[in-house]
Amino acid sequence: MAEKAFLNLTDVSKAFAGVQALDQVSIEVRPGEVVGLVGENGAGKSTLMRILAGVYRPDSGTLLLDGKPLLLHSPREANFQGIGIVFQEQSLLPNLTVAENIYLGQEKEFSRWGVISWPALHAAAKRQLEKVQLPIDPATRTAHLSFAERQMVELAKALALEERTERHLVILLDEPTSVLEQREIDILFERVRALRNRASFVFVSHRLDEVLHISDRVYVMKDGKVVAQMPASETNVPELHRLMVGRELHAEYYREARQREPAEKLVMRAESLTAEGAYRNVDFALRQGEILGIAGVIGSGREALTRTLFGFLPHSAGKLTVAGKPVRLTSPDQAAALGIGYIPRERRVEGLVLALPIVPNITLASLATVMKRGAIQGAKERKLAESWVEKLRVRTPSVDALCLNLSGGNQQKVVLSKWMNARSKILIFDHPTRGLDVGAKEEVYDLMRTLSEEGISIILTADTLEETIGLSHSILVMRDGEVTARFDATPGKKPAQVDLIRHMV
Amino acid sequence: MKKNYREQIRGLAPLLVLVGLVLVIGVLRPGFLSWDSLVVTVANTAILFILAAGSTFVVMLGSIDLSIQAICSFASVIVAVMLPGYGYAAFPAAVAMGLVIGTLSGLFHVWLRIPSFIVTLATSGLLVSAALLFSHERAISIDEAGRARLAWVTGDFLGLPNVIWVAALVTGLGIWSQKYTPFGRYSIAIGAGEPATWASGVRVNRYKVIAFAVSGALAALAGVLMAGREGSGSPTLADQLLLPAIAAVIVGGTAITGGAGGIGRTAVGALIITIVRVGMTFIGVDIFAQQIVFGVVLVLAVALTIDRTKIVIVK
Repeated sequence: MAEKAFLNLTDVSKAFAGVQALDQVSIEVRPGEVVGLVGENGAGKSTLMRILAGVYRPDSGTLLLDGKPLLLHSPREANFQGIGIVFQEQSLLPNLTVAENIYLGQEKEFSRWGVISWPALHAAAKRQLEKVQLPIDPATRTAHLSFAERQMVELAKALALEERTERHLVILLDEPTSVLEQREIDILFERVRALRNRASFVFVSHRLDEVLHISDRVYVMKDGKVVAQMPASETNVPELHRLMVGRELHAEYYREARQREPAEKLVMRAESLTAEGAYRNVDFALRQGEILGIAGVIGSGREALTRTLFGFLPHSAGKLTVAGKPVRLTSPDQAAALGIGYIPRERRVEGLVLALPIVPNITLASLATVMKRGAIQGAKERKLAESWVEKLRVRTPSVDALCLNLSGGNQQKVVLSKWMNARSKILIFDHPTRGLDVGAKEEVYDLMRTLSEEGISIILTADTLEETIGLSHSILVMRDGEVTARFDATPGKKPAQVDLIRHMV
Repeated sequence: MKKNYREQIRGLAPLLVLVGLVLVIGVLRPGFLSWDSLVVTVANTAILFILAAGSTFVVMLGSIDLSIQAICSFASVIVAVMLPGYGYAAFPAAVAMGLVIGTLSGLFHVWLRIPSFIVTLATSGLLVSAALLFSHERAISIDEAGRARLAWVTGDFLGLPNVIWVAALVTGLGIWSQKYTPFGRYSIAIGAGEPATWASGVRVNRYKVIAFAVSGALAALAGVLMAGREGSGSPTLADQLLLPAIAAVIVGGTAITGGAGGIGRTAVGALIITIVRVGMTFIGVDIFAQQIVFGVVLVLAVALTIDRTKIVIVK
């Protein structure tokens, strides 16, 4: 392993709207090496990958490829330098054929006088598919492939780079296994090993055992920094986990002292709740003032479940009861009418109308509260908005400021004000602290405790297990669309992360 | 706060353009600034404004209604055909037709999730044919008895033509509903951020249909007024009005992408369009060439008012 590094990143930093996503990160990749990159959500893994792929440009720091400085302005340039990426969310266009996808943007190589030679293109695509041992016709429409096959096509697309550059390749794999079956993962890994003579790999995954299995070396990231780096053979899953989280559970960080036993009264109940293709036979009971955390990886069905509870994805079987009445929610207005509120993960898309000021955003879900004889009362509405801004300590020059100009934490408080003004009894927190800095996170935790004390029930899908465990009264663990475990999370009896992980993967 | 200052200037721009145009024409032809001449100009704007006013809400939603001129013409035919036999009932019948057609367009738009420009383009084609059949492909002039019943359109009140009062009423109701009703509030919210509005429990589809219904009804009202002023109904009466009407909405400052604007702004926009037309006649632009100017004005207005930072892809 004394070999010289092929790809070098030195002191790379990147900030978004005041949040330091990467803080002086240095990483090196040697020829033919598989480097694992692990860290919690928000640790900076994806930002790092996007910098390598030419999607983002770093604020500072240097990139060296084969000893030469690397300046990437676009993914296309990264491609020409022999850097390919297999994205977590698949980037293939489903309405094009496999061959068209593999050579998207590169058709020039196969065309004369502006006319594409399809036989040449298909033959070349066939060669790429052979590299990943995928025996499909390159003329197949991508939409007809299985998910795993598409992942392989992505890999083939990345490998097609080697014919365009003399260089050794660097292939970035961003969570490629999160939705694959074991058998498909085996195939992928086998291909990765077989291709090491032509390429180096950077492998990002939240499945730590897989990272250890395939990687030569592992980097651990936390809060935008590399906190550890070691050969994969010299570490293990619990150690990686400890490094990722980086601190023992702080009871007061999640305001555990304020956690009270919820009331007996049930406000929501699911019995054998099923949504075809997403999750099945989910049972849970939500009590008044309870925080129910749902843990699970991408594809576990927890995201779909939360969307069912707010009317985005109606369930197909089973029973959902809200406030004692059986319901099937087919649109958000029905959920809102039942006193359910939704704090979305996509705060800037589904949470707020960014181009409007704070006032109309706060009353958007409950305009009736400021109406009298069929007319909106502007003065009353403004006063109400001001009282929420004061109560939740939204930092803004005035309630007329556009939500666009607020920081993430303050935006989240406006979203919360909206549902508090609507007097929602059940709040669905979908990744409520995503993209927030530590101070804003703590304010959100405080608010959640206050809501819980006031008898508001909360369903929580959090960014990290730590958050899920710290905040919840009880926890539901899901895997592959089914509930695999339930935990009581009363302070003092809170489960450990490894207990949950065991049921998640 | 510097940004807000700039946005305020931008918001006032249409009004400044209007004042500038009036002054320019006033200097070139001093008679234009006389009371009588200004009243005539405003009266001539009224119908264009009412036509544009209805579609303002639709544009605020981020959609578009291309059927307004067809509804307007059809309404004039209904008035001309029905007035002799049914008397005053012809007016509510015409407006009801607009309301129903607008509602249907809205329903097809939201139920079948068809882009609004396609639905209303289809509606427009359908209405043009219907109006041609209904009128036997010709203009129907309204006889003396019928004209007596049109006195409310052609008459004056307190020294101003009645069409101005109708337009003022539409403006008032429009501004009021934008400021004080959920419909007005949600129209802006949907245009500015439909996913968030939907995820706040707003019945987005319902308000979209209402906007198209309002657009249809006001387009029909414009047709009724036109029939009154022209003394006839014709299946091609409003053919040349679609472009100026949409230009009026956009020139006034309602964003084509939705989420900003209002009927007050459309009033300013309609006046600008009328004055540009007067100016063109004054400098001798051929009447048939005027659509060229409106087309250019529309594209320029969109280019100037659009906030490109918020738009990723233009289709």
